[in-house]
Amino acid sequence: MPLTFIDIEKKKTWRIGVLLIFLIFLYFCTMIVLVQGVFLIVPNRIIFTEPFFIFTNPEYLLIVIGISFVLAVIHFYFSAFRSVMIVMENINASPPDPEDGIHRRLMNIVDEIHVVTGDKRKIKCVVIPSLSMNALAVADFRGEAVIAVTEGLVSRLTRPQLEAVLAHEAYHIISGDCLETSVAASLFGMYASALERMMDSGEEGSMGFHPVFLLFWLLVKFSNLLNMFISREREYRADAASVRMTRNPLAMAEALHLISRNWTGSGFISSGIEMLCFVSPRITSLDESEGWWADLMSTHPPIRKRMEILLKMARVSISKLEAKVNAETETFVSDTPEVVYYALDPKHQWQGPYTYTELASISWLTPNTWISSGNEQTIMKASENKLMSAIFTERLNLALNSAGKEVSGFICPTCRQPLSDVSYEKTKVHQCNFCGGILIENVKVPRILARNEKCFTTRVKSLAKAVIMDNQRSIAIKKLKGAGVKTKPSILCPKCKNPMFRTFYSLAYLIEIDKCGVCNTTWFDKDELEMLQYIIENKITPKVDVFDPDQFS
Amino acid sequence: MVNWILITVITLFLLWTIFIYNRLVALRNEVKNAWHQIDVQLKRRHDLIPNLVTVVKGYMEFERDTLERVTAARTRAISAVKIRDKAVAEDMLTQALERLFAVMENYPVLKSNENVMQLQEEFTSTENRIAFARQLYNDLVANYMTKREVFPDNIIASLFAFRGAEYFFAEKADRSRPAADISIGTK
Repeated sequence: MPLTFIDIEKKKTWRIGVLLIFLIFLYFCTMIVLVQGVFLIVPNRIIFTEPFFIFTNPEYLLIVIGISFVLAVIHFYFSAFRSVMIVMENINASPPDPEDGIHRRLMNIVDEIHVVTGDKRKIKCVVIPSLSMNALAVADFRGEAVIAVTEGLVSRLTRPQLEAVLAHEAYHIISGDCLETSVAASLFGMYASALERMMDSGEEGSMGFHPVFLLFWLLVKFSNLLNMFISREREYRADAASVRMTRNPLAMAEALHLISRNWTGSGFISSGIEMLCFVSPRITSLDESEGWWADLMSTHPPIRKRMEILLKMARVSISKLEAKVNAETETFVSDTPEVVYYALDPKHQWQGPYTYTELASISWLTPNTWISSGNEQTIMKASENKLMSAIFTERLNLALNSAGKEVSGFICPTCRQPLSDVSYEKTKVHQCNFCGGILIENVKVPRILARNEKCFTTRVKSLAKAVIMDNQRSIAIKKLKGAGVKTKPSILCPKCKNPMFRTFYSLAYLIEIDKCGVCNTTWFDKDELEMLQYIIENKITPKVDVFDPDQFS
Repeated sequence: MVNWILITVITLFLLWTIFIYNRLVALRNEVKNAWHQIDVQLKRRHDLIPNLVTVVKGYMEFERDTLERVTAARTRAISAVKIRDKAVAEDMLTQALERLFAVMENYPVLKSNENVMQLQEEFTSTENRIAFARQLYNDLVANYMTKREVFPDNIIASLFAFRGAEYFFAEKADRSRPAADISIGTK
């Protein structure tokens, strides 16, 4: 592989030229068919005395070629220079939030990638609000290059793994693969979507015999094939380049392993741009197969093959990798003993149990408050406990660092106390210090759900299971009886004071939450967020036996 | 006729010389640029250290000499000029920092501090950047040296006195060690 990336970029320009020529050809064919069609249908004996065939009339042929050339160039210009915008609109991505710990890590990693590539190309990065794990790279002729990663990928991968994935995408950009595919995607993506729409509308098959659409269809399919064939090769090359940049083949293999095990095939990406992705966003039977047919038909090489190559580089066997990943997930699921504290409030009543963080947020807790930790049963002043004294240091720091900044302007809808800004799973949320409820802007919800740093207590786990069982049952009853819905008295949105409506997060995850439809925020009562996170991360589904009559009594 | 052939040969030779010369100059400049990149990243680390020291100081009364060692290593690294001295000094600084972070593991309060977490992320990122910048530099040096020493080019190189570049030596715990060590992935 050449050292300076500029060399590779030069080599790739001819491929884009081929694309342009292909486009001209496509327009030319379309025009010919159109013109010929018009002259065949319209009774043209008035103008021409004998049957008209365009190939026998050079001057008409020239005009057609000219027009198709102009059309192709206009089309090429518009899609090739705006492909970043087109794709970004398509996936609804937004730039990373510098206040968010995980997003800041992403920004840092992108900067590191700049260093390793010698700062040849400025690459922006954006985040797609999706729980799936995938990444894609887009570039266009204006020199804009963007790597988009899903929230799930940013949150679930470790630092070296994320670095490997980003290096892979960066190689696509630097090598010019990406410019080519982005241009192709925005060129033919337009046709593909137009064609799909036409297919939907013309259900009676009235289109079937129309030669123009047939030609269209054939050309779109052909261009897809062309792209797919190139695609498989370059994934291997990008993997190799990524290893060359990060010198860590294992991280790449781990990332592939993680993605393939849990989160492939989420349909967030529309057709035409799947070849830009890190792993194929659709699941087809061809994904893991080899041979020339699979090579031709699928955009990505089998993940198994990619991992094999990487593991060979790292000299690690697949079983070892599996064992390691399993060990990691196990430590993650394991129980954390919950240390609880009781505290003597100003009215000399014992309050509790509180967790450490809850205790830290109690406003009447002073260094002189008597506390006891539930496990040791000893009573002492808060300031005598090492951990407790840290709370006060922290408070002082906070007060000094950002005077008045830690209190958000919102009032808890149930306790009527100001909410405070806290960092939850590394993102900023507004939490009530008293009831534990959390107010979150809707854009941040997928972020939190994608991250799993939080460990759950046994209480939350069993509560979550019980709650979704119960909700499933009540839904089933409601469906069977068709009974009138009893709505609970709703609370008011802390932000805009409109009533929030109580609803399930989704029918797959039956946790009740309060949503404000006006300002797009969600209120989670205490434990609701944790329960939701728990059931999504561990894929818990309610098991209700429909044939058991006792359940509906 | 002979004249024409002679003129053509001389012109071709001149063109070839110019081509090789220009390529060598381009490569040399790339090496220089990469060296500055390392400097930028090293400076970034030097700038981060005082922040870390001030944040940590309050919590770690008993670890005075670990902190002092970091500060001393920093001063030494800043004042180093030669490439080899610099490599050694930076190596020491890395070790001192590693020790500090290892000690910090014993202070759970410190570890959960938001500021410290941010700083730790910055340090990890900086370490990576330094490693990457160094990797790029060494790669470019290797490329330059090869071009400078292979047969027809070395004539031009010695004619115009293209001096060799020095490698930035990898420290002991380099990223490029064979990744057979499984623990790398959890860094």
